[in-house]
Formats: sequence, structure tokens, C-alpha cells
Amino acid sequence: MNRFDYEKRLKSIFGIDHFYNEQWEAVQRILNGERILMIQRTGFGKSLCYQFPATQFEGITVIFSPLIALMRDQVKALNGKGISARYINSEQSVEENSAAIQDALDGKVKILYIAPERQENSEWIEATRKMNLSMVVIDEAHTISVWGHDFRPAFRRIINLVKLLPQSLPVLATTATATKRVQQDIEHQIGGRLTTIRGQLVRDNFNLYVIKVHSEDEKLVWLAQNLNRIEGTGLIYTGTRVNTEVYAKWLVYNGINAINYNAGHDADTRKDVENGLMQNRYKCVVSTNALGMGIDKPDIRFIIHTQIPASPIHYYQEIGRAGRDGKPTTIILFYNEQKDENGIEEDYELPKAFIDGARPSKEKYLKAIEALKQEPLGEKGLMKATNLKQTQIRVIKADLIDQGIAKEVVNGKSKVLEYQFGARELDTQSFEDLRIAKLKDLDAMVGYVNTTKPRMQYLCEFLDDDNNVNYSNCDNTNLNKLTVTVTGFWRDKLSDFRESYFPVLDVESRNSNIVNGVAASYYGVSNVGNALHRSKYENGGDFPDFLLRLTLKAFHKTFDNARFDWVLYVPPTHSGDLVKNFAAKFASAIKVPISHKLVKVRQTSEQKVYQNGWLKQDNVKDAFSYLSPEEVNGKRILLLDDIFDSGATMKEIGKLLTTMGAETIVPIAIAKTVGGDI
Amino acid sequence: MMENELTYWVALTHTPQIWTKRKNEIIVYCFNLGKTIADFFESESFLGMELKQGEYELLTQAKNELANYAFLVEELLNQGYNIIPIISGEYSPTLKANLKYNAPIVLYTKGNKQILQEKAMAIVGSRNANDTALQFTDNVAKKASLEYKVVVSGFAKGVDKQALDSALNYKGQSIIVLPQGIATFASGMKKYYKQIIEGDVLVLSVFHPKSPWAVDLAMARNSIIYGLASEIYVAQSNDKGGTWAGVCDGLKKGRKIFVRQPSNKEKCANSTLISMGATPVDIEGSTLQTTVAYDTDETLCSFVAEKAAPYGEPEQLSLSF
Repeated sequence: MNRFDYEKRLKSIFGIDHFYNEQWEAVQRILNGERILMIQRTGFGKSLCYQFPATQFEGITVIFSPLIALMRDQVKALNGKGISARYINSEQSVEENSAAIQDALDGKVKILYIAPERQENSEWIEATRKMNLSMVVIDEAHTISVWGHDFRPAFRRIINLVKLLPQSLPVLATTATATKRVQQDIEHQIGGRLTTIRGQLVRDNFNLYVIKVHSEDEKLVWLAQNLNRIEGTGLIYTGTRVNTEVYAKWLVYNGINAINYNAGHDADTRKDVENGLMQNRYKCVVSTNALGMGIDKPDIRFIIHTQIPASPIHYYQEIGRAGRDGKPTTIILFYNEQKDENGIEEDYELPKAFIDGARPSKEKYLKAIEALKQEPLGEKGLMKATNLKQTQIRVIKADLIDQGIAKEVVNGKSKVLEYQFGARELDTQSFEDLRIAKLKDLDAMVGYVNTTKPRMQYLCEFLDDDNNVNYSNCDNTNLNKLTVTVTGFWRDKLSDFRESYFPVLDVESRNSNIVNGVAASYYGVSNVGNALHRSKYENGGDFPDFLLRLTLKAFHKTFDNARFDWVLYVPPTHSGDLVKNFAAKFASAIKVPISHKLVKVRQTSEQKVYQNGWLKQDNVKDAFSYLSPEEVNGKRILLLDDIFDSGATMKEIGKLLTTMGAETIVPIAIAKTVGGDI
Repeated sequence: MMENELTYWVALTHTPQIWTKRKNEIIVYCFNLGKTIADFFESESFLGMELKQGEYELLTQAKNELANYAFLVEELLNQGYNIIPIISGEYSPTLKANLKYNAPIVLYTKGNKQILQEKAMAIVGSRNANDTALQFTDNVAKKASLEYKVVVSGFAKGVDKQALDSALNYKGQSIIVLPQGIATFASGMKKYYKQIIEGDVLVLSVFHPKSPWAVDLAMARNSIIYGLASEIYVAQSNDKGGTWAGVCDGLKKGRKIFVRQPSNKEKCANSTLISMGATPVDIEGSTLQTTVAYDTDETLCSFVAEKAAPYGEPEQLSLSF
């Protein structure tokens, strides 16, 4: 069989006449049983390089991919062409995943996509012992390198697997973004006879802009003024989940059809937003970088970042999702270069803090190791034993596994971490090396903001793509610089917006009559947090009146037509009447009687002492009582507190009042913290 | 040996219907050619080795399943199990010397592998041993621990369990030889977690990692217990069952086996074993002057061989369940 013969098959199966030369090179080598790393830009047609060979092999091709949306799209497209494909991921029900596995075992599937995290699933593991495997593909292979962006610990197991696969089994690793260093790391990790095919990375249909600003307000205003002037549908990437909400609400407030999306949303919501994006139902989706990787939408017309990504490689990857149809596409990056009191630029702070705080302190690692030396522990057990946050425990867990200090063992249905005999000491030097490397990458990203070179050239050079191309598609070459002016009109509009937008307190659960409530503000987003802190911890006296005014506004906006029988407030941990006094003023303002009969029956610690939800829950469990329980029956109750964090306290009181017959309990807080742990 | 060869080792180990002895011949064949077991499987014609028709098909089948074995090996390594092929320096030299061509192709272990290099003694006996036998077990385990010798036992009730607990009690080291696959021992791993991570216990299995406990595995395991030890102590034996079969087999192979001298009132087969050539020891495990005349009568020996045959010939069992 030669190229001509295979292209005849290509035509009949995929309806495509020819391979590009670079595609054919890869296909030929895969058919030959080789191992290949392919670095090609988005839109090159990497998928065909494994999908076609997969149709030629006798057995099944397994594709490990972190991109759930991509799986869905590709499986649909393949089945449409009569190529039997399935996927296994967290988005499907257990039954659906089981059915996909069974089909694969029965030889009914040519191509099977699977999320790397599924490698842990016992049903899948069982199936792998019997499946007729012909090829393994690692999609988004840069995620196997800690030097790459977006490193995923679950991929470690895939690498170990690939190393153990028989030498004659073809393996293809693909990525659109890899520096030489990441390339070498992947080559080293996969090892064996891996060879690399590297293509050109330039995207010449991009119009690249950087907008330097001096406040967050300027970003919001520019978007409100200009977004509808940009053609088509696109994405706005914000640095945090909270900001996806804030930006989307602000755009909607300005009559722009926006919606927010982040990893905190449930699968149905995410799918709905993804579908909406595909169908151009929105002008834009405001998202963390959880959205877009692998979305097979060729006509994303713009991508705007309100925060700098962690490195030029992140940036190239994230903007790479736009303009796959080759038509002109607008790419904008905001950068707030206002300096704080320490002379650090505002937009440098968040990503830097993120890098500096990526790893918990050594003491925390040692605490976890000590706990594991006593007994094998699951994630929850480890959180309880160490009083560490879930996010920290996950980082520690991944590092301990990486360093061989602990291993994750399946114990019946649960997974536990076991300390390993003869484990070496914790190596913190590697953490420090990584931190310094990441800071260097971040500085290179700021370099992109400030460069006078053609911007695409800057990105390609960072990615070690040294092809000589004429770059001329940015505000450093032929395009005008974009600027922003904030007038009084816009300042007022922003302040109106801020006083009309209130965070939801999400506490509803099946066995309780507590419903979702509202807070006057996010803790860190406005001056509310500072005011609370002064009163609580700096003897600043009662909460200032503007907090009452804002809380009332939040209440009226959300519950204007509802009627209530009582105002209750959360009794304090230590003596102090701040919340009591606040509740009294609140109650009198809305003309609802206040009751002082909600009390503590045992001493609790301040919730903020506890770093995770499990311990917070334990801390407040059965800690409250109502002095005249018979009065509670049928009551509609407002429950006030100053700061809402995990929600454990509100939920506990809600449960108590429910058992006493309360009809409904509505939580109201002055501020909601950001990033409360579970 | 490279870690990426483990897939091939595990595939060879669990190729059904080929005896361990034959598999070891394959390994020696590769070794003599200066080739690896990976080369053997990856070459077109198994490196030109002369294979019987059935063997060729079985090995070809194993070759087709290599990718499946890769998944299994990855899963085991990920969970902290060690896979030690017979050519590895970490493999027990005592086991290899004792079992020779019948030595298992790979050992699955968890814990301190170094224990495999230490001098070891096995303490064996009945599941429902009497108090004297248990006291004997404790005494011998204490002696072993004081002499820095490893105690090998089979994790059954009675003598096995006593041997393990006593060894640990006297701060000694121990090997648990499982009558099942290593991945099916979760409760034991949990119970001996601290001893495992502190390096005092090595858990070992030679069977398919996912095999549940089975009578034939329990029997086949006995030869591994005897093989890992350079000294064998028998606390109490009946005139049938695993201990009996194992001792008979050991005696037949000319190994020195120490059997506790029972009192006259005890109902056990210890005296018979002594009369067959085992060395009598007192309750402390010290060798006694032989009081019973050696009976090397031909008929008795053939009686022993006959009686032991169903279990006593581990080489008759393919260790690939």
C-alpha cells in the first residue's frame, strides 16, 4: 500500500482527497508502528493523523484527552462518518460509561476517547485487561510536563503506562504548544523510540492588541463601549471565577448578550453554555480558561483577556482557540499597569501571588507525611488529620505521589494514600526551581505586553518556532493602538451597577427548609471587606451605616415581595454585639420583629480557624439551640450574619430550625468570601 | 533490567499451560544469547528458540496481550507494589538456589525488598495448633529475631499467624507469603500498615495479582515458604495437609528440617516426620540427640512420595492462575 492507496481510503471514509505532506509523514510512521510527538498549530488537522490510522488497525485506538468538549464533538463527527467511536468521562452517567466500555470490549468500537482521570476507574482498569488495543494517543501532550502550562497529575499515570506498552505498539502524542524545553521533557518522559515532528506555529489571521489601563474600571468601560462593535461571537477570559460573574453581569447590565462560565458550574449548565456558544446564542461567554480548550468552533471571532495568563505559552494556547476558519480574528489583552504602594503593577500581583502560593509550606507537607505514617488516609481523612484546605491537600497529595513518598491505593471502593517504605525525604528544591521557572515565564508574558516587536513573532520565538515569517498583524506594526477613556457618565454607571448586583448565598439542600440568600457584596471586591475588618478586629465600633444601607438594598432587590415573621442572627463565637446590633437595625428598618432566642449550647471556635469544610462542619455541628422551640413552627425567618464563608454555620442553623418546623429560612450576610473551601 | 521490560516479564509469568520450568528455560535461552525477554517477545520468531507447536501458539497469544499486561503492570506499580523478575538483583537468592528451574518467574511484593537478601527461617505448622506448638513458634521466632534472621510464614491461622506476630513482637523482620494475589490482600495491608512502612514486613505473592485465595494456591505457596528459608522449623504437623506435604517434599529434596519433638500424649504427626529423617528439636528449637532410629527404608520413602504427590510437587503446578 502506498500513499495513493491510502488516500483512496481517506476519500471513501473521511471524504477528504489528500493528506498534507506533513500529515502523511505522521500517518505513514504511525502505520509503521512508530512513536511520534507531533507539535502543530491549532487547525492543522492533527486529529486526522490518528483517526485515519485508527480506521486501518484491527483493534481499538484509545485517545487520552483532557478535553471533554472535544471528545463530544469528535465522537459525534466520527459516528456521523460511520466510524464507531465512544467516549468515557465524568460528564456521562455511570451507565453510559459502562456501556461505552462494554462496546469497546465487544469489539464494536474503533476509537475510544477517555479522560486521563478515568484511568483510576476500576471498571475501566478491568476492561483494559481484555481489550484488543492497537494504538494509544495522548492529546494535549504538553499537560504531561510540569514545565509546560496546565500540568495535570492524572497524566503521570498515562506516561507510566506508555513506558510499559509493548515497543511495537504505535503511540502518538500531540500538542499545539510546546517550547523546546517542554518538547525535550515529553521526549524524555515517553522515552524509547519517540521522534518529534514540529510544524510552524504562526497564526496569520490574528489581529493582536494590548490595551494598557490604570484601573479595573477602565477594562469594564472599554468592553461596555466596544464589545458590540467587534464582529461575531467570542470569549472573554478573566483571571478568577468571581470575575466571570462580575464581568458577565456588567455586560448584561449594558445590554450586551453575555453569559458566564466556569469550572464551578455543574455539567448541565456547562453543556448548555457550550451549546449556546456553538449556536452563537451569545455575543460572548465570560469564562475562566476552563472553557474553549478543544471546543470545535471554527469561527470564534475574538478572544479578550482581562488578566495576563501565566506565560506566553498559555496565551498562545488560549488565543489559539479563535479563528480556526482562517478569517480575521481580534485578539486583545488588557494589562493594568497601575503600581501599588510597593511599586508592583496591579495585574502582575495576582499571577505572581498564584505562583508564589502554588505550593503549601514545607511544614504542611511534613504534617501530611506524619499523618500518613500513622495510617493510610483518603482525601477527607487527610484534611481532618491536618486541618489543611482541600486545594492544598490536593497539591500535597500530587507531589507526594510524584516524589514516590506516598502512593494512592484502591481500598475496596475508596482510595487511600499510603506512605511508602524507604521513601526519600521531601524534596522542596524542585518546588523552588519550578517557582523560579514560572516567574520567568510570567515575566516573559509581561514582556509581551511591553514588546515593540511584532506580537506574533514574540509568541513564536518564545515557543522556539524559529521559522522566518513576515509578521504584520498587530498594534506594533500596522494596526492602531486601542485606548480607553472613562467619563463621568461611565463612572456613575459603574457605581450604579455595583450597588445593584449582589452575590447569592448558595445553601439550599434537600433535607432543610433553608433557601438561597443574598449578600451585600463579595468580601474582597469592594470596600465592604475593609469596613468589616475594622469593626471586627480593629475595635472600629459598630458596622458603619453604609453596610446596612447596602445590605437592605440587597435584601429588597432579592426578597421584596416576601413576608417574614422574624429576624434571627448568628450568635457570636466570642462576646461582642456587632452582629446583634446590626440585626436589630436591620429588623427595625424592614419592620420585622427580632428574636434573641437563637443561642449557642456549646463553645465553638471561630470558623476561620478551620481550613476545610469538613472541620468547619464538625465545629458547628449541634452547637446551636432555640430557647422556645414551640414558637418556631410555621415561621418565615431571616437569618443574619456578617461574613458568609463555607456556609456551614447557616446550614447548621437552618437544619435546626427546620426540625422545629420553620417554614423557610433565608440567610442574609454583609459579605461573601471568595474561594471558600467546599 | 529496565522497568519497561516488566510488561514482558508479567506476560511470560502468566502465560497459561507452560510450566515454570519451561519458562525458566526460555529465560536462560535469552540470557545465553545476550538478549532480553522484551527481545524474545518482540522478535518475529521468539529469537529462533525451538518451541513446541502448542508453546508457540500460547506465546503468540501472550504477545498479543502485551498491551493488556501493560495496563496491569501500571496499575500495580501505581499502587506501590513491586514486581521483581528472577534475573533482578532484588530477587531472593535463597529462593533461586532452593527451587532452581522451578523458582517463580516474578515476585510481587510490598514493603522492604531488602528483606529478601537476609538469612531467613520458615516456621510452619497446623492451622489449629496446640498451645505447646504455639509456644514453640514464639520461642523460635524470638531466637530468629535475636539472631537478625527473617521469619517466613504463610499468613494462615495457628502457627503462621503466631510466627508473624511473635517476630514483630521481638522487633524482628518477617515475610508474609500469600496464598492469593497481592492485590487482593487489602485488609492485611491495612492491619500491618505500620510494620510494612517501617520496613519490618514484606508481603510477597507469586500468583496472578488479582487471584483470590484458593486451596491450590495455598498448597503451591508452601514450596515458596520453604524455598525462601535456609532453615525450616515445624511446630506441629498432621499426617496430611499442607505442612505434611511440604515437609515430605523438603525431606525428599534432602533439605534439613527441624521438627519439634512432641510429648507422648500429643496427637500429631511430628514423630512420624522425625522418623522419616527430620531433625528433632526441643521447645526452644535446640537440636536434640536423635532418639528415634532413622528409618530410611525404601518403602517408607516411596510411601511418602506417594502421599505427598498431589501437593508436594510444586513444579507440577503451573503458577499462573
